[in-house]
Amino acid sequence: MERRKTAGEMNSTELAELLSRVRAGDSDAWGELYRGYAPAIFRFCRRALPSREDAEDATNEVFMKVRQKLGTYDSSRPFTAWLYKVASNHCWDMLRRRRIRQDLETGDVETLPLEHPDPGQLERLQEEHTSKEVRAGLDKLPDRARMALVLRYFGDMSYDEIAETLGVRRAFVGVLLLRARHQLREILQGGAESAREATAGGKL
Amino acid sequence: MSEPDIGHAGSSHFDEMTGLLYLEQQLDDMHSKIVAEHSAGCPACRELLRVLKNETVWLRDAIVADDESIPARLVGAPVRTMAPWGWLATLGFGAAGAYTLWSGVIQPWVTQASNIGITQGNLMTMLFFSGAFWNGWSDVGTAVKFLAMITLGVVAAWALRRYFRRQAGTAAVMGMLGLAILAPVPAHAAETVHGNPSYTLPQGQEIKTDLFVAGDHVLIDGTVDGDLVVWAHEVEVNGQVRGDIIAFTQELRMNGTVGGNVRAFAESMVLSGPVGRNVMGFVRSVEVDEKSTIGGSATLFSRDVQLNGPIKGDLLAMAGTMEVDGTIGGNVKVRGEDMRIGSTAQVGGRTQFEGPKQPEIAAGARLASPVEMIMRKATPTYSTWTYYWHQILRWGAAFLLGLVLFLLAPAIFLDASNAANKVGLAMGIGLLFLVGIPVAVIIACVTIVGLGVGITTFLIYLVAVYMSQVFVGEWLGEKLLGVGVGIGPVLARLALGLAILRVIRVIPFLGPLSMWVVIVWGLGAYVLTLHKRMRHQVATASA
Repeated sequence: MERRKTAGEMNSTELAELLSRVRAGDSDAWGELYRGYAPAIFRFCRRALPSREDAEDATNEVFMKVRQKLGTYDSSRPFTAWLYKVASNHCWDMLRRRRIRQDLETGDVETLPLEHPDPGQLERLQEEHTSKEVRAGLDKLPDRARMALVLRYFGDMSYDEIAETLGVRRAFVGVLLLRARHQLREILQGGAESAREATAGGKL
Repeated sequence: MSEPDIGHAGSSHFDEMTGLLYLEQQLDDMHSKIVAEHSAGCPACRELLRVLKNETVWLRDAIVADDESIPARLVGAPVRTMAPWGWLATLGFGAAGAYTLWSGVIQPWVTQASNIGITQGNLMTMLFFSGAFWNGWSDVGTAVKFLAMITLGVVAAWALRRYFRRQAGTAAVMGMLGLAILAPVPAHAAETVHGNPSYTLPQGQEIKTDLFVAGDHVLIDGTVDGDLVVWAHEVEVNGQVRGDIIAFTQELRMNGTVGGNVRAFAESMVLSGPVGRNVMGFVRSVEVDEKSTIGGSATLFSRDVQLNGPIKGDLLAMAGTMEVDGTIGGNVKVRGEDMRIGSTAQVGGRTQFEGPKQPEIAAGARLASPVEMIMRKATPTYSTWTYYWHQILRWGAAFLLGLVLFLLAPAIFLDASNAANKVGLAMGIGLLFLVGIPVAVIIACVTIVGLGVGITTFLIYLVAVYMSQVFVGEWLGEKLLGVGVGIGPVLARLALGLAILRVIRVIPFLGPLSMWVVIVWGLGAYVLTLHKRMRHQVATASA
């Protein structure tokens, strides 16, 4: 018996049909859509938000919004992109509500080092750290830096979309991304150096 | 090779920013061409592009890695319903289970403890309801404990939500408790009857246990050896109930004899026979006629009360109209609109009335002491400037509290105002805690933890109730002013929101209602926030 396709595996026609059924109030179709995309949206929220609990709440709330706003979805655009857009707006909104002092995260351009980074050091960093460690480092980034990386490399969003979501000028997006990379490198290097020092000191 | 005019001034190489923008295809054609041509002939820049590209892949792989399974809570698609059956079932089953727990386990245990002299009841009475007058509350206490168990059941269910994320799971767990009601409890069995549609216990018949009965018209001409718990349109008791009567009904007529207490939630209640112990009623209209005798105290929350028969204990009532023509052995404390003490009335203790006008006292009435009158102002004095000054002061106090809270715990402040977005959930939880905590505190004081914990909890509860307006005010301000970032916008939102709430508060009728809505809503938002943070801490600790 042929396995039924999940929503994520559907072609555009099948997906359009599914969305029409959801719009018509078909709860089975809604369940199918949810099952197809909820894992990805949960992972997206998990990367964008500092805790798993927040990500769970956000996933639920994102899908409630999706259901409410499905009528506004323009079917000429990819559904996944629209979904990530809703999710990213929601996550950023959550983070914005919590953030108190925006000025702590501005003034980035002047502080960016403009010289070439040491390629050898950068390669070592990539070799020494597992994906898990990178994700742990990601959690330690300031909200906007983490959000920029997640939008770009998880959500595959354009610079325009990132700028719109984060409420910054488009020209600033590249700066945000580069700064986020620098901060992540520093976090990972700090962890690696601590580990090396601990090893040298016989602590491990 | 042409030197790039992009990148770091004074260097022959382009900078990291330019390299990243090039790799991400964010440069225009001209600059892209310059970078491409330069890197083709420059090993250092080529190397930079290579490691940046690798870094992008490395980052992307790490970020998109599917390392966590979707939590069980998210397995089912979210559905917004007006009345989630799971929670309703939880409440119902919780109540049933709690009652069983109470009547089958806790109460016998407490009785045993009491028999051997272990009790804190007197201490609690002294602390919370000092004075002989409040002895009537000892009866209320039992009902309060019952309510407390129900509340605690629901609170426990809510707290366990983390482990039973889906409502069906919670309902099932509480359902297990509920099923306990069907299990035989040694020496405490009960007979459960469903009327078809009415039920009659004929004269001469006796139920040896408690009787739970539901029906349209319930007539008890026989004898119930235990308690009578009844849900019906009309209830008439002409026989004998040796235990308590607990009635949820439109009309209760008690012409027979009750050995224990009468607790009624009814439209009207007429007592024409003797009640051995106390009467407590949330009843619109109460009549205690000459043939009735109440052996203990009467505690009534009613619109109209007429007391012709004797009450050996105290009378505590909140009533629209109160007429007393019988004898009351203890004290009388009434809060209401209108009170008349007839010529045949006798009061053995103090008489206190709080209302908008003096009570009418007939010439023949015999009172042990003059009526102590507490005059209640009917409406606020809108015409005086002090009234408005006080409103401003109250706004200022609330704003100050919000400011302090924001500065000390900004995350809680902002999360709680954010949680107020979940209006229904916050209000449901708020109502639960508004009622549940005082009850739990009383239980803590009496039986479980101790007086210190109980009183501390109660003080925290009072602060939380007061703080509730801060969260709702911030939420309201955000709806009007938008989500601005920074201290200034937060305080502006708070100030505006609190000011609007204060204005609504002074509107007659709407004001008091709005106050309760704000308390319930804000308290719920606060509890949701604390719960979320505790969940997070537990998860972090266990990780």
